[in-house]
Amino acid sequence: MSVVKQTPAHRTTTGPTWGASLTATGIRWLPAIVIVVGVIGFWEAYVRIFDVQKWLLPAPSIIAKTIGVDAGLLWGHTLATMEEIVVGFTLALVFGVALAAAIALSRTVERALYPFVIASQTVPIIVIAPMLLIWVGYGLAPKVIVVALICFFPIVVNMVDGLKSVDSDVVALMRTLGANRWRIFLKVQIPTSLPFLFSGLRIAIAFSVIGAVIGEWVGSSEGLGYLMIRSKPQFLTERVFAAIVILSAMGVTLFALVGIVEKFALPWWHREHGSEI
Amino acid sequence: MAVTQHHNESMADHPDSGRNNRIIDVIGLGKDFDQNGQRLAVLSDVDFHAADGEFVSIIGPSGCGKSTLLNIIAGLSDQTVGTLRLRGEDAVNRLGTVGYMQQKDLLLPWRSVLDNAILGLEIQGVSKREARDRASALMDQFGLDGFEHEYPSALSGGMRQRAAFLRTVLADQQMFLLDEPFGALDALNRAQIHEWLLGLWERLKKTIVMVTHDVDEAIFLSDRVYVMSSRPGTMTLVMDVDLPRPRYLEMVTSDAFVTLKAQLLAAIRKERAS
Repeated sequence: MSVVKQTPAHRTTTGPTWGASLTATGIRWLPAIVIVVGVIGFWEAYVRIFDVQKWLLPAPSIIAKTIGVDAGLLWGHTLATMEEIVVGFTLALVFGVALAAAIALSRTVERALYPFVIASQTVPIIVIAPMLLIWVGYGLAPKVIVVALICFFPIVVNMVDGLKSVDSDVVALMRTLGANRWRIFLKVQIPTSLPFLFSGLRIAIAFSVIGAVIGEWVGSSEGLGYLMIRSKPQFLTERVFAAIVILSAMGVTLFALVGIVEKFALPWWHREHGSEI
Repeated sequence: MAVTQHHNESMADHPDSGRNNRIIDVIGLGKDFDQNGQRLAVLSDVDFHAADGEFVSIIGPSGCGKSTLLNIIAGLSDQTVGTLRLRGEDAVNRLGTVGYMQQKDLLLPWRSVLDNAILGLEIQGVSKREARDRASALMDQFGLDGFEHEYPSALSGGMRQRAAFLRTVLADQQMFLLDEPFGALDALNRAQIHEWLLGLWERLKKTIVMVTHDVDEAIFLSDRVYVMSSRPGTMTLVMDVDLPRPRYLEMVTSDAFVTLKAQLLAAIRKERAS
């Protein structure tokens, strides 16, 4: 054995201590925190100084109070919206990945279906949503379909791009090792596509919140979107804002959740590229 | 007898080159590509062979069709004219029977070093457990001890190349094609890996065909060196390397080595001039 022995030394050189990494996280988020605190402070001051009516623009402190007082009511509607998002997103994930696989595996399927995938995105959801009410009824179904329609597109497009981004030299290597088309798909194309898929999932999950609200606006009896549409004519503006705050928090949380799942699912990707969330 | 013009078949009297001993036999092979409706001859009338257990190198300028020749031998593409025999038979379904290591290591970034190494075994249907056992047993020989569970991104260039070579060796094909495998390594790493590769080759008793543009590397490693010309690519020279084995790094300064190198370089220069 003439090859010089090396030991995995990088384990000790990378990976800062816990304390240092917490401090680093704090510094990373500092700009965001400063901006949020600044905006809220300015808003609060503006409303108080100019004595703006709360039905016109409620102060952050009043919105916070509303969230506290109406917690039970808001929580119920939050769960309803969350259900629509989770079911719709899951449907889009399952069908999106399946369709992307079919498109990547078959030229015929690609030519036949890809134009329709793109065309589906040009149909205004706001027009489709009321039609869905007529077609599938008044319950959970129309909202789930709107969410799924919105999530579907970024998932399919990203996954197809990922499945096609395989290095042709790697395909050649697999063939010389005796792999057939299907093996190459499973062992090379799918893993290559996963980082792309997760990019699509991040976009999809952020859009899904909008999808749920649109679905509820068109016709529903529960959910944060429904609560907003009902509270506005009653001049309960602080409740509208409370719903917006919760929807935003929901969006950020879901987005972060996708990032966390990705970190566990693709540890190799994060080792190479690093990532904020 | 060291340098011969290829077409007068004077190498037929070499003791190892009897037809029936040839594991790779390429006769009058040509390959055309269609480029914008025009026929482009990439390989023309290529004669080449390797006997069982031989180490053969092909030297040639960039774009002379060396990789095209390897692709054809490996089964990734087919020749336009000519014959290719593997183990004495017309090789129709040869894909998967010839190991092929390309210049890039092509390690899969989502697999650990160990799981990259067993890729070929997995495809052959060997159970993951057994494949991993076999690979683990070779980690030390390939200088990868302690890195089994690392991702390729944690490895140096030389280690990545050795991991790729382990993947090729484990697939257990009878012959290996190496396409400029050490091109990306620095001189020190190269010298070290040359000696290591020779040791391994002597133990494995496999046939190796290596493409390179490094004259020293070709002479040091090979039993026979082919020189290829470009556009269309064809073998213009064959040189037997009769240095004793096993070979050591110190040999590159020996008289015999220097004489062979001078002959080869002179022949290449003469070929370029004409």
